[in-house]
Amino acid sequence: MELTQLLKPLAGTPETTTALVVLLLPLLAFLVLYFFGKRLPRQGDWLAIGVTGVALALSVYLFSQIWNTTTFHSRSIWFSLPSSIVADFTAGVLLDNLTVLMLVIVTFISLLVQLFSVGYMHGDEGYNRYFAYLGLFTFSMLGIVLVDNLLLLFVFWELVGFSSYLLIGFWCDRPTAVAASKKAFLVNRVGDIGLLLGLFAFYTYFRTFDLEVLRTLIGAGEWTANNFILDYTLNGQPWLLELTPLLLTLAGLGLFMGCVGKSAQFPLQIWLPDAMQGPTPVSALIHAATMVAAGVYLLARCYAFFTIDALTVIAIVGAITALIGALAALTQHDIKAVLAFSTISQLGYMVMGMGTGAHDASLFHLTTHAFFKAALFLNAGIIIHAMHHAAHHTHGHDYVNPQDIRNMGGLRKVMPLTFYTYLLAAAALVGLPLFSGFLSKDAILSGSWAWAQTMSANGNSLYFAVPLTGFTVVLLTAFYMGRHMWFMFFGSFRAPFEAQAVRVSAKKEIESVMAVPVVLLAILSLGIFFSLNPLSFNSSWVMRGVGLEALATQGALLSDKLLQAVAARDEVNHTAHLMIGVLSALLGVAGVGLAVGKYKNKPAEALLHEEPRGAFGRISFNHFYLDTFFNTIFVKPALWTATTLYRVDKRVIDFTLNYGSKWLVVLSKIIGWFDRLVVDGTVWLIGALAKVIGRFGRNLQNGKVQSYYAYSLFGFILIILYIVLF
Amino acid sequence: MNDFILSGLIFTPLLAALVVLLMPIRLQKPMKAVALLGTLVQMGLAILLYFRFDGAALSNGQQGYQFVEKLNWINFSLGTLGRFQIEYFVGVDGVSISMVLLTGIIGVIGVISSWTIKKNVKGYFLLYLLLMTSVMGCFLALDFFLFYLFFEFMLLPMYFLIGIWGGPKREYAAIKFFIYTLVGSLFILIVMIGLYTSVIDPAATAAQLGLLEKGTAINANAIAQVQQLLQQNTINSAEMVRTFSIPAMMEPANFIPGSLLHVLSGTVLWDLPLRFIAFLLLFAGFAIKVPSVPVHTWLPDAHVEAPTPISVLLAAILLKVGGYGLIRIVYPIFPDAGAYFSVLVGGLGVLSIIYGALCALAMNDLKKLIAYSSVSHMGFVLLGLASLTAEGVNGAIYMMFSHGIISAMLFLVVGVIYDRAHDRMILNFRGLAKRMPAYTTFVVIAFFASLGLPGFSGFISELLVLVGGFSAPEVTGLLPRWLTIVAVFGLLLAAAYYLWALQRMFFGKYWIFPELREKAILTDLNAREYLMLVPLAILALLFGIFPHLLLDKIGVTATGFTELVLQNGQEQLHMVLSSMRR
Repeated sequence: MELTQLLKPLAGTPETTTALVVLLLPLLAFLVLYFFGKRLPRQGDWLAIGVTGVALALSVYLFSQIWNTTTFHSRSIWFSLPSSIVADFTAGVLLDNLTVLMLVIVTFISLLVQLFSVGYMHGDEGYNRYFAYLGLFTFSMLGIVLVDNLLLLFVFWELVGFSSYLLIGFWCDRPTAVAASKKAFLVNRVGDIGLLLGLFAFYTYFRTFDLEVLRTLIGAGEWTANNFILDYTLNGQPWLLELTPLLLTLAGLGLFMGCVGKSAQFPLQIWLPDAMQGPTPVSALIHAATMVAAGVYLLARCYAFFTIDALTVIAIVGAITALIGALAALTQHDIKAVLAFSTISQLGYMVMGMGTGAHDASLFHLTTHAFFKAALFLNAGIIIHAMHHAAHHTHGHDYVNPQDIRNMGGLRKVMPLTFYTYLLAAAALVGLPLFSGFLSKDAILSGSWAWAQTMSANGNSLYFAVPLTGFTVVLLTAFYMGRHMWFMFFGSFRAPFEAQAVRVSAKKEIESVMAVPVVLLAILSLGIFFSLNPLSFNSSWVMRGVGLEALATQGALLSDKLLQAVAARDEVNHTAHLMIGVLSALLGVAGVGLAVGKYKNKPAEALLHEEPRGAFGRISFNHFYLDTFFNTIFVKPALWTATTLYRVDKRVIDFTLNYGSKWLVVLSKIIGWFDRLVVDGTVWLIGALAKVIGRFGRNLQNGKVQSYYAYSLFGFILIILYIVLF
Repeated sequence: MNDFILSGLIFTPLLAALVVLLMPIRLQKPMKAVALLGTLVQMGLAILLYFRFDGAALSNGQQGYQFVEKLNWINFSLGTLGRFQIEYFVGVDGVSISMVLLTGIIGVIGVISSWTIKKNVKGYFLLYLLLMTSVMGCFLALDFFLFYLFFEFMLLPMYFLIGIWGGPKREYAAIKFFIYTLVGSLFILIVMIGLYTSVIDPAATAAQLGLLEKGTAINANAIAQVQQLLQQNTINSAEMVRTFSIPAMMEPANFIPGSLLHVLSGTVLWDLPLRFIAFLLLFAGFAIKVPSVPVHTWLPDAHVEAPTPISVLLAAILLKVGGYGLIRIVYPIFPDAGAYFSVLVGGLGVLSIIYGALCALAMNDLKKLIAYSSVSHMGFVLLGLASLTAEGVNGAIYMMFSHGIISAMLFLVVGVIYDRAHDRMILNFRGLAKRMPAYTTFVVIAFFASLGLPGFSGFISELLVLVGGFSAPEVTGLLPRWLTIVAVFGLLLAAAYYLWALQRMFFGKYWIFPELREKAILTDLNAREYLMLVPLAILALLFGIFPHLLLDKIGVTATGFTELVLQNGQEQLHMVLSSMRR
């Protein structure tokens, strides 16, 4: 198998060109709005929305062309390094079921969120900048789902992180928002380091980043007793690979690290609650529906590259995340914090599903979650908007935190539309039958059950902890959503102003531009849109479209054996399916019931001043003190090292240098002294000596005959003495 | 074919300098115009050269130079010691083309940035233009002596530019810069003399021996014959034509048997073959220029004290001479030692990446932060080079180019705030975004370009270097993998120091240190600043999105160089070590 042959350019088709147009439209919106938005009428919001509308229409067209029918792949050379061991770096567009599904989700929710933002962000001084950033984000997110190789995926992955940074810190004069945006970017970078190393590992051995080629190569390899063996040629040179499972597992876990960062998995989920500092529609689009789902998408795209061990780790991390998120959500007071922790928990579900082989169920949950969580966030946006508005306009209440659910209560009477749409979406989140969340959650639970059965075939029943965690989370989810709903919509209104003040006017609850998206999304929380039989996920069109069969056409998966076994086990689990469905529905109802039971009889005063109580309450409220943990373990030591190293620079290197040069000066002084005293002195001495001798000689020749006579006599005596003595 | 474009590149600024020299002092505006014109012509020639340069032509750092100009400069007989020969030998290949282009562009940006210089304008531009000539000469010289001449000559203008037009501690910084670099060049000088005693010019020797008819072209046969005779020790010393030609030094067959630096000389000093010592000396000389930890401390001081345009030149071009010297001279001449010391070089690279980044994290002075980030980024050059993979070496060269563009932008951005507030301490400002939105946009662009956001050229270079380093154990067997894994954390640290600076200085509520309030007039960017920042931002994007624009020019040379060095390195390493054992 010649790699350069596999990597040869593929001509574009009308479909891939359309996909490129879909990709570039939001980028265009970004550029126009960022640079000229202020000068456009209405600051160009119509342009952003129009462009996204066109992108959505084109995405739907692509969906209709491609879903369950065919795939398209175009590829060209991005750049190349001339070398016998480097193939070209390619760039291309890959259109398959997964891509078009994500295309539609992203453009649809992006469109609705932008519509909603017209109302929500009205009058903000950075209005055009806001829509520009949303365009940049949509562009990057579409890039992630469209590209055909890991390198480009990483490129757009980083761009998504960048646009998320811009949007979280959109109100850049708020210190908390800025801190949150920095934290989000940095925590994501930690994950990206893993992703990058994973990419490098695959590149080192397979010499390409192209997803399809990687799948083909992996499909061509085989497992021997210990190792994974593969041979191919590159530019005619044979490459024989013998890879240990450990290495492949590590490479896979590297890719998974990217998901841990972006999809807020344990232990990197700490950025997501803080990210709620961004405008609420942004939270709906980026931190609930699309960007955080990118990690799950990455797992799905790279599903062939994970070994059994890697998948096990993924399943466990997912389960832990689901549990921690749900536990933390139990005690939050901030309306968005509850939803943020719930998002973490649901993302944990998806990742757990991926790890347990429920690839299709996980993507199904991604889809349903995108709709109902976006609905919840936009609704929360409406409530915050209304509360803020009310607190601001009824004088002297600016201190009331518009996001604190303890200040709310009884809103169902004044905001009925919001209440009912929230109710629909919350029911989907809790997983009540007939709602979309029930189907997808049920699918994940069934899948993980079959996985636990398969994995524990050798007697280790610890694997059942994963599905059992899943069930626990169902109960917890129902409880915190019940509590959440009760605080906001039931009981009496607890803020110090009239409940009526939250309405736009006596006749109008909210602006219709904000109502329409919410209503649409809430309706899409019904199960019927995803499965003709709203009680069973088996008839879900989403799951059928993104099943493993669709994925495996290119060749085998690294953990093929396990996945086949799990699928086979799932196939025969008829009773278990029924039991799981009933159990999860019961747990959902029970959770809501518990919450209502706990808060129903509490007086308004008690609800207004509710604080997390006990050790558990504090741990949950503070998100298991993960922030403190990371600060003490990583951030502070890093800063300490930084200052210390700088001191090394100043006090060791420069000190040595300066000290050395000082000694050099001292040495030169000594040499100068030597020069003056010894060298010059010698010269002077010689001169002086000559002078003395000269003076002596001059004195001899004084011109007196007597003296000359005396000298010659003295000389004569000396000669005589010499002769006599020697 | 040969139209002396390279000489044009080198001497245009010198010509402009002469014009400036002859102008009366009061003509300040025209003087600036002449300087601008000189650098513009130089840039035009550089761009022309970029387009005319054939990137696909086979070259490997030893052969395949284009636009070569070779003139006898100094040539006399030393009697029984043979002939002494220094040539004016310039040429361009894939490695130098990127640096030439960079120098051309930055030269113009630097003049625009110097427009506000008030003190002794004549002297300033005179030195500036001299500097441009010597830097360009450095990148084009193929004769070691010529290179050294230009290399040394860079020192002089730089010393005065920092020492006269610099900040409060300029004298300390200038002398520190001077001493550091001078020590480095001493090391280089020693090895250069050693090489001179060991290498002959085969073509000239062939002519001397009468193997070539006078006037006939040099042919490969004659050269091979000379090399064979030389290695058989049958050429009389008096007939040898010694040379400083770098390509000649790259070929082990041109080394005189028994000479100090011959592969088989077996000379040992401190338990190391003399060739290794020579490599280490040269490496130290250029590492100071790169700069690599632990010989980097001149850089923050020089940057902090230098005026903005000089910081730009220093970071964008002068640092590149270090990396360029490693690629042009050190590795090709001593590939054996290059292979032997790869862990040392790569290790210093990784150390620089992490150490520089951590120091940047501790900085409160924005300019110092960026100076340390330069240390960190230049570490990638060492790492990529040490890996000796096609990706790593291409990435190292790409990094030098990209860092040139991006660091110019970074220092200009610092200059903007310094011009307005005469202060650049991070903690003295807050929320600048509200007052200077366009400025903040460019700060964000420059910071994110530097921290390796995809779409900017920095990403491509970091990616190539890291992927090269990571795959080196499999491909060349040179670097341990953990080195690259550690290096990747540099990306995290880069994000940390930049974002932290952004957070502290540009975002949040607007606030400025009370003592600065009176003098500071925080206006947004002016036209001149746009004129510098916009092209640089566009270039960073252009080379980030279309890397083939540069890689197509450097790729063949860089890869050829890599393969040559790797192959020669392994062969010669074996010979060196075996001759030692004898």
